[in-house]
Amino acid sequence: MKRYLKYLLLIVTVGLVAYKSVYIKKLSTMVKATGDNFDAIAFSKKLWEEKLPAKLDSAIELTEFIRAVQTNAADAFSKHSNALGIGNYRYALIKTDAVVTELSDDDNTLQINSGDSLMIVKLATEFIYGNAIRDASALVDVKDFPNTMDLNNISEELNRTVRKTVLPPFKEKVKKGDRINVTGAIEINKEHLRWTGLEIIPIRLQIVQ
Amino acid sequence: MATTITATHKNQLSRFQSLIALFVLCIALAIMTDKFFTAENGLNVLRQTAVNICIATGMTLVVLTAGIDLSVGSVLALCGAITAGLLKNGIAIQSMDLFIGFTILGAVLAGILVGALLGWFNGFTVTKFKVPPFVATLAMLTIARGFTMLYTKGQPVSNLSTDFAVIGTGWWLGIPVPVWIAALVVLLAVFITQKTKLGRYIYAIGGNETAAKFSGINITRVKITVYALAGALAAIGGIIVTSRLDSAQPNAGMGYELDAIAAVVIGGTSLSGGKGSVWGTVMGAIIIGVLNNGLVLLNVSPFWQQVVKGTVILLAVIIDKAGDKKE
Repeated sequence: MKRYLKYLLLIVTVGLVAYKSVYIKKLSTMVKATGDNFDAIAFSKKLWEEKLPAKLDSAIELTEFIRAVQTNAADAFSKHSNALGIGNYRYALIKTDAVVTELSDDDNTLQINSGDSLMIVKLATEFIYGNAIRDASALVDVKDFPNTMDLNNISEELNRTVRKTVLPPFKEKVKKGDRINVTGAIEINKEHLRWTGLEIIPIRLQIVQ
Repeated sequence: MATTITATHKNQLSRFQSLIALFVLCIALAIMTDKFFTAENGLNVLRQTAVNICIATGMTLVVLTAGIDLSVGSVLALCGAITAGLLKNGIAIQSMDLFIGFTILGAVLAGILVGALLGWFNGFTVTKFKVPPFVATLAMLTIARGFTMLYTKGQPVSNLSTDFAVIGTGWWLGIPVPVWIAALVVLLAVFITQKTKLGRYIYAIGGNETAAKFSGINITRVKITVYALAGALAAIGGIIVTSRLDSAQPNAGMGYELDAIAAVVIGGTSLSGGKGSVWGTVMGAIIIGVLNNGLVLLNVSPFWQQVVKGTVILLAVIIDKAGDKKE
């Protein structure tokens, strides 16, 4: 009797562990973004044209974001930023009005009126790399991508689109002293906050005057 | 009387030689750099050492039976990759239109199970086919590394999940989670070696295998169990590494077997078996961790760091052998 009880207990434990360990789905019901022939160019184009504009429209004002972080960092990062991986870096979509105070080969220096003070940030105009746009958009779910290369290719494509379609017309016209509207992605280390020298990766640029 | 006291003192001194070495090392580093003796750095060293403690604990059990396991680094990589792969991709069976997904618990258990199976295979080849442990586990080192490359296609498996990352990067009660895991592993191993029949058999086999056999100990079963435990502990190390990096790297764990063996030897466990303890190994692993940390803080070149580490291991073995001769 004691032996049977032991076996029963063992079976129940194994069953419980198995129940908590695996789940089963029909393969056909699962929507996967990727496969062996994942097309990063088509995926990124669709994302850029169909999903990103709405996200850009609802991007938070940079000064408002900074204030929110200074008031309650955890809450602000959870509401207004995103990250695909672990670590301290968070990515956010922001928008701001600014005045171009300096033009250089690699970036433009912008002056932002943040209410009671003036803030200086950089606008990347040459080297557009990294995952800021992809991660800040929160439109890509890491679980859909078994292959890390696919994820990296999405970033590469988004960055290429910025380099080819967003920057050339802007760089052609922009002058020192211009007032511009910028919507873009920023990268912030949540453990070591540093707003000086903040760099914006542009996604939408408009020269106002 | 005087002779008895001196002998007792010497015996106690040799028992605590690792602890004394660690103490001296810490004092020396604290004098040489003010960055060493801080709580943050202490926790950092413990966190970095946690993986080696897990692997070296398993290695201690194997070495106590007069064996050796050179495959732990590769087993670590394969189990880390399998855990990451199952967590991220699950198993898709196209012909049955079935997808088996794994929770963190499921993926971790599967990883540990694979480690135990690989260890079991090591033990099986050592006991059933009488292959010397050095050769059997050297073969497994290559086999497991090959399977890791095949499974991952040579690419890292990254972006697992923030919940999984807690295993390698989380904190609990102000102490890193990997340190808690290592502590649990050590306590379990101490319990096994000191309070169970299996523990006594391990020491008996290492001390004199023939005598152990004639006294009725099932050598095959004990050795297979010990190798399986070593594999499972290497798998735990692999899971910690994978979680900490948020990525399973196909070339993870290269050379980890040497660090584990070094920890065992510095901790006073005899490579000829039957003598040593898990606590000693923990001290050995911490000594290596402190040494690594101290050399980095002192800006010593990585090339010199390897020379220093090798010299320390050599000295530890020479001291151990000298002690054996006197006994």
